[in-house]
Amino acid sequence: MTLSVTRSGTPVSRRTAADVPRRSVLGPRSLVHPPGVGLALVLPAILFVAVFVLAPLVFAVYISLTNWPLIGSYRFVGLSNYLNIAQDAAFWQSVGYTLLYTAIVTVPILVFGYLMAVVVRANRRGSTALRTIFFLPYVIGLSTLSFLTVLEAQPGSGGINAILKGLHITDGQTPWLVDAPLATGLICVLVIWAVSGLTMVLLVSGMQGIPRELYESAEIDGASWWGREFHITIPMLRRTIGMSLILSVIGSFLAFSQFYILTQGGPGRATTPIVLYIYNRAFVQLQVGAATALSIVLVIVVALISAGQFWLLRERD
Amino acid sequence: MATTVERPAAAPARPGRAAPSGRGGRAENSTKRTLYVVAAILAVVVFVVPLVWSVLRAFQPASVITAPPGASSFTKLTLANFRGLASEGHILRAVGNSLIVAISTAILTTLLATSAGYGLGRFRFRGANVAFALILVTLMIPFQAILTPLFLELNAMHLTNSLLGLVLFYATVNLPFGVFVMRTTFASIPVALEEAARVDGAGTLRTFNHVLRPLVVPGMATTALYAFLAAWTEFLGALTFLTSQNLYTLPVSLVNLQLQAYGQVNYGFLAAGAVIAMVPCVILFVALQRYYVEGMAAGGVKG
Repeated sequence: MTLSVTRSGTPVSRRTAADVPRRSVLGPRSLVHPPGVGLALVLPAILFVAVFVLAPLVFAVYISLTNWPLIGSYRFVGLSNYLNIAQDAAFWQSVGYTLLYTAIVTVPILVFGYLMAVVVRANRRGSTALRTIFFLPYVIGLSTLSFLTVLEAQPGSGGINAILKGLHITDGQTPWLVDAPLATGLICVLVIWAVSGLTMVLLVSGMQGIPRELYESAEIDGASWWGREFHITIPMLRRTIGMSLILSVIGSFLAFSQFYILTQGGPGRATTPIVLYIYNRAFVQLQVGAATALSIVLVIVVALISAGQFWLLRERD
Repeated sequence: MATTVERPAAAPARPGRAAPSGRGGRAENSTKRTLYVVAAILAVVVFVVPLVWSVLRAFQPASVITAPPGASSFTKLTLANFRGLASEGHILRAVGNSLIVAISTAILTTLLATSAGYGLGRFRFRGANVAFALILVTLMIPFQAILTPLFLELNAMHLTNSLLGLVLFYATVNLPFGVFVMRTTFASIPVALEEAARVDGAGTLRTFNHVLRPLVVPGMATTALYAFLAAWTEFLGALTFLTSQNLYTLPVSLVNLQLQAYGQVNYGFLAAGAVIAMVPCVILFVALQRYYVEGMAAGGVKG
């Protein structure tokens, strides 16, 4: 975002110089802008945030203290929705599954994102095209990619099965989407493939901020490529790495589309992550009060993780 | 994709600083070059081949798409799936709905974020910091986690099962990032420029239109691009808030197709629909990636 001042600014600034005394007499910022303009400009955005984020959040606390069904009357039940969470085995199953999924995908996303960043960080011939290619799946989005994966995961006709059969690994009839471990593996591969590009973009912009001199002096000291990566790049990037880890963990905690589209959480509840479980509880079983109590717990967990992100951002300045 | 090779780098290195490259002896250089070429070929195989394969899939006749893929799978390509989708109606209407929602979201988000970014980046007023913090804090509250109360609230406002409701919701979701980008954009413009216009007697709106607007267009493009892509690909909110089939956006319509809401699954239609969902993302990103990557570098907070 290079905003050139000289492009349109030269004649204007000359006039400013002539008018400096007038400005200092009248005081800053009151000459033209009537009072309250700043606030008025921000107000519409604040209104949207208040109506569509803060109000539902407050409303959520209220609902979570009732036995609210989607349709019909409700009554207060105190904290019982929260107390019931402890006994909600299906919820804990979804928590466990989400943690498993997060544990599987987080490190590979970072490692592949880092490797991609290493490949494209220098401005070589074609590195821009490679960046585009690596990032393309993220831009297309997991919902569209999941539909394409449905097609390729079919027994017999799917491309994944065709490749595995061609390599004589399977008979090409693997029913990927109706078996929990297989479906989980497939979704993890899809997600790692699709979102590593995001980590790459974040790391590349971090890498380009590392002073070149650091590498030059390390080279004079005879440091190997690995030595330079481990002793310069990775330590210099620790905040960027921390931030991409936080973003990817939050993304995993909130995963929904790929599971809904590929397995609908099945077989049974075996591949149901937290958001899908809450969605089913609210909109299929119509237990809105209980579902909202679970939502509040999720809000708190995600807010705590995001707080780490703001902490990292602040420390940079 | 080849067209992007000639473009300036998506995130150009700052002067005086550079990523490590092109140093060391000649032997190391040639090793590095070989590794780079190998990585590039791998990238094409791992990333481009599946996407091209998927696009070609959409042009296969129904009999081929459900048969085991082989050497002759892509010899008889046809537009039948796309024609079928067009005559069938549901998906075509969903494409229209998605376009309306995504374009409206991009416009509304950009207007709100530009206004707020102007206010926060160029004005000093009581509560400015609180206002900015309030908008940023919403980044920490994912909409996925407040979906139920949001549904009830929108329902009470008669905004469920409504494209308008969806647009208002999407605009809010994209707002924190947009405000962040626009505030940074406005704050980076030299104060002298605006002072000059002010001294010349230009009002707030005139100052904005003649002095600031040309300089903030890149930031507005970034905000609009993010909002468009987010609205175009969003799934959970659309699935929850829309109940009439004639209002479905493309991803919701496709999930119905896949879950056999219209009878037997037509994999040809599914492939064609997914390709239609994919195309705007690819075109917009490849054409406007400068704004996309800059936004990510500026925001650094987008999930």
